Amino acid sequence: MEEWKGSPAAKPHKKRSWYLAWKYKLMNQRALRKLCQTGAVLFLLVTVIVNIKLILDTRRAAYEEEEESTQEYDDEMLDVEVPKQPANTRKVLDVEVYSSRSKVYVAVDGTTVLEDDAREQGRGIHVIVLNQATGHVMAKRVFDTYSPHEDEAMVLFLNMVARGRILIFTIKDEGSFHLKDTAKNLLKSLGSQVAPFLSWRDMWTFVGKKGGEVYGEKHAKSPALSTWGDPVLLKTEVHLTSLEDAECHWPNTELNRRRKTFCSKVEGYGSVCSCKDPTPIEFNPEPLKNNKVFDVPVAVIAGNRPNYLYRMLRSLLSAQGVNPEMITVFIDGYYEEPMDVVELFGLAGIQHTPISIKNARVSQHYKASLTATFNLFPEAKFAVVLEEDLDISVDFFSFLSQSIYLLEEDESLYCISAWNDQGYEHTAEDPSLLYRVETMPGLGWVLRKNLYKEELEPKWPTPEKLWDWDMWMRMPEQRKGRECIIPDISRSYHFGIVGLNMNGYFHEAYFKKHKFNTVPNVQLKNVESLKKDAYEIEIHRLLGEAEVLDHSKNPCEDSFVPDTEGKVYVMFIRMEQEADFTTWTQLAKCLHIWDLDVRGNHKGLWRLFRKKNHFLVVGVPASPYSSKKPPSVTPIYMEPPAKEEGAVAVPAVPAAEQT
Amino acid sequence: SVKQHVVKKFLGLMSSQNVPVYLIDPLVLGLIDKDIEQIRSTSDGPSPECKYFCSPRDFTTFALLDKTWKHEVDLFRTAEKMGFQWLRILHKDPRLDGMDDLSGTEIPLHYIFKLASHAIHLVIFYERSGHYLWHGPLRLKQHMDRKFVPFQKLHFGRYPGAYEKSELLSVSIDDLKVQIPRNPSSFLEEIPHSRFLECRYREARAFFQLYPDDTSLDAVEFRRKAKSLLHLAAVTLNNLGVKFWLSSGTCLGWYRQCSIIPYSKDVDLGIFIRDYKADIIPAFQKAGLPLKHKFGKVEDSLELSFQGDGDIKLDIFFFYEEDDHIWNGGTQAKSGKKFKYLFPKFTLCWTEFVELKVHVPCETLQYVEANYGPEWRVPVKMWDWKSSPSNVQDNGVWPVEEWDEVIQIF
Repeated sequence: MEEWKGSPAAKPHKKRSWYLAWKYKLMNQRALRKLCQTGAVLFLLVTVIVNIKLILDTRRAAYEEEEESTQEYDDEMLDVEVPKQPANTRKVLDVEVYSSRSKVYVAVDGTTVLEDDAREQGRGIHVIVLNQATGHVMAKRVFDTYSPHEDEAMVLFLNMVARGRILIFTIKDEGSFHLKDTAKNLLKSLGSQVAPFLSWRDMWTFVGKKGGEVYGEKHAKSPALSTWGDPVLLKTEVHLTSLEDAECHWPNTELNRRRKTFCSKVEGYGSVCSCKDPTPIEFNPEPLKNNKVFDVPVAVIAGNRPNYLYRMLRSLLSAQGVNPEMITVFIDGYYEEPMDVVELFGLAGIQHTPISIKNARVSQHYKASLTATFNLFPEAKFAVVLEEDLDISVDFFSFLSQSIYLLEEDESLYCISAWNDQGYEHTAEDPSLLYRVETMPGLGWVLRKNLYKEELEPKWPTPEKLWDWDMWMRMPEQRKGRECIIPDISRSYHFGIVGLNMNGYFHEAYFKKHKFNTVPNVQLKNVESLKKDAYEIEIHRLLGEAEVLDHSKNPCEDSFVPDTEGKVYVMFIRMEQEADFTTWTQLAKCLHIWDLDVRGNHKGLWRLFRKKNHFLVVGVPASPYSSKKPPSVTPIYMEPPAKEEGAVAVPAVPAAEQT
Repeated sequence: SVKQHVVKKFLGLMSSQNVPVYLIDPLVLGLIDKDIEQIRSTSDGPSPECKYFCSPRDFTTFALLDKTWKHEVDLFRTAEKMGFQWLRILHKDPRLDGMDDLSGTEIPLHYIFKLASHAIHLVIFYERSGHYLWHGPLRLKQHMDRKFVPFQKLHFGRYPGAYEKSELLSVSIDDLKVQIPRNPSSFLEEIPHSRFLECRYREARAFFQLYPDDTSLDAVEFRRKAKSLLHLAAVTLNNLGVKFWLSSGTCLGWYRQCSIIPYSKDVDLGIFIRDYKADIIPAFQKAGLPLKHKFGKVEDSLELSFQGDGDIKLDIFFFYEEDDHIWNGGTQAKSGKKFKYLFPKFTLCWTEFVELKVHVPCETLQYVEANYGPEWRVPVKMWDWKSSPSNVQDNGVWPVEEWDEVIQIF
């Protein structure tokens, strides 16, 4: 809802424009000014109340919807007991498609399969894919082609749909503003005559078979910029084909039986359902020699983003040393499609009935998933925690296998994480290098069972607290000064952009250019030196070896670091006390790394790479490593920009959120 | 014989599919146990006669540890090709029962493979929190064939069961290579006492709806301490071989809310006086739990109390069995008054509590009601052990000359 940008020509809320007109009229009459002000305040109050009520209603509506889908699931469950009647005893489907400014719906044989009349939601082109033999809904998508790039997503999706499927299109509000020629041509090739000429606020419905006949199309032009086309209702019939024709004829193996079940239910997964050359669903990566994490359970935390989950599980199951028997996917809610994806890969899935809202719900889902993981694998000492919007590096398990013993032997450790918050393309270099950091990065990490059972689980925030689990875990009461081990080059990649606290801009700015290891079998360097005391020796060795950079230069400039390779450089910044990150934040900003909160520090020291040189930043005098500063060097101080400027740069999301 | 033939075919099937089953049939294990020394020493070589698998029986029981097995559809196809008919009992996963609103895939609890007149009962064991193995009950669903095998005669599945993990031993008997528990006699001893009770998670959730849980730091801290005290007590008593169960408030917490009652301030255990050992006191002291007081004596109303970490007490009540009831005693230190708490007779079952496999009275409701009355569902924070329990009786006064022995406070 936050991302909604109203149509530019649209007037604000009706009530408000009426109020404005009224206000302007009265403004001219001085005697009434006072009354006007009182009225304005009153009206604002009323508007606020009305809006709050609206929000509450929408929430309630959303909740009720969830309950409905739960209901559906129950019915599904009942269906399992009684063998399903084949749906293709009837040869013809009646299809009704409605397009208008504020509402769209699609009914198949009298059953509503799509209905969207929610305000300020669902703008753009709605697409429904039906199975040509059973008439079942296989996919439901909406592409907000009023906004940029959504048409590309639609093209991608339509290309993935198998030939022969029935496609239903309908526009809500506006669907043409960013509908480019590529997309229009694709729609034309599907048989639409109107698509090439679709324009501003036209209403449009279309039903056709991919690569086959057209069942109907209706269109209503918008008469003027400020108004919408009249609602259109398309009623048509679709002839079903036989089940034989709708299915691929893969060899009858266990894998293909899973594939068949999946492909007859859902659409939009591309070549996995290709009849001719289906992409594998079993990967059999090379086993890992001396794999120390073979028996470590892997919990995949998922919501209702089945396409993400599909991508994530593919990369996970392709990683060397993966043990599919140890993987459990925890789905937050009774969603069918994510479960279909889990079953496609032959993995175990557990569904979790929603109990709370938004962040607190994610947090409760995490708790339930972690508890269940340790219940299901009672002998496990650790669990790997992953999320559905991560790619997993090919050497993810190899990385953990080499480092997990640290978590067992070093009490001062909080976690091992696959993610380096500061590991961007231009700041990470060495796949064999590990760091100790005081922050908890998440995004693919290992949790020690006794930490969870003894400390975290008993006091995990209750639903009414509305806390983010990861923020909570980062709080000093929980972390208690312990550190996490991270790699210089991340072993996970965060590709999700449609999360709770994610938007396109945010992802572009902070995640897209993150470095991700693609080298298999990386041998980690000197893992032993990551232990508490050994690490201090290592840091002192590094600082002793490091060349002090020219502090008279601007640290933001490229020339600040000489054009060398493989050297170690150190710079000193001002850091008055432990929590003074003024200069660091400015430096991080100009280096284009994570600056929304402080990440990746160890006792006032940051380690990264610049121009293929190891680059150390020491905060003086707060850091114990300040003693390494030559007396002649004055620590660099960078001033934060004036308040207002700063406010523009930061997107309106919780700063530290990564889920 | 048919039986030997079917067992042989079954073992062939399982080894061809890499399914590591082991024999737990009480009757066959019983025969094996008699000859165990001999069988151990002659690990191979054909035995002269069919001695173990040939007595006429309807079925033979095997076990399979779930985690050692990858659920394969191929197993059943192969079984069918070999002529086996099979039946599978599925159930929801009890390891997720305690969790709010989680629903996973159903798990297999029992398989029955039938060929000719003989059947193999395969019991699936699951590892659970508290280092033990669990098997589920065998319950037929409506559409299932009730006459598939004589279900009433099966040795496993009447109740769920809990077992110690046991190592396996490969032996050759009756010309068959088969895995058995390394120590058949101790496994056989476990069978009659293996009945397992699941905590009543649904009722516990309902309880917390009515009386929201205390999640304050104090409560969290108390529960953490009480849990670790209970773990320590369990290790200590198990090492001594003394059987104990959750009693009083700890038992009520398990039964009513599947957790430790945060305001209960102590951990309560029960032990039958016939299991009393003099080593108990030194063993606890060695474990870092000093004796706080000792009331009564072995012959009458014995009660021990140990000081745990930070204000938490471990109370051990000894129970005396009579013909038609069981009782334990109480003593008021300042007056020397004796009390008696009466319970209907009970047997012991296993359960899982705070990641521990422990005993509770199987007839828990009667036990809890005897102690706390019909209103046990309502939390009571003011509890007087001399008057509140509904099963308390006055039991006279200790003679003054015995006070030094029967009222010891440290």
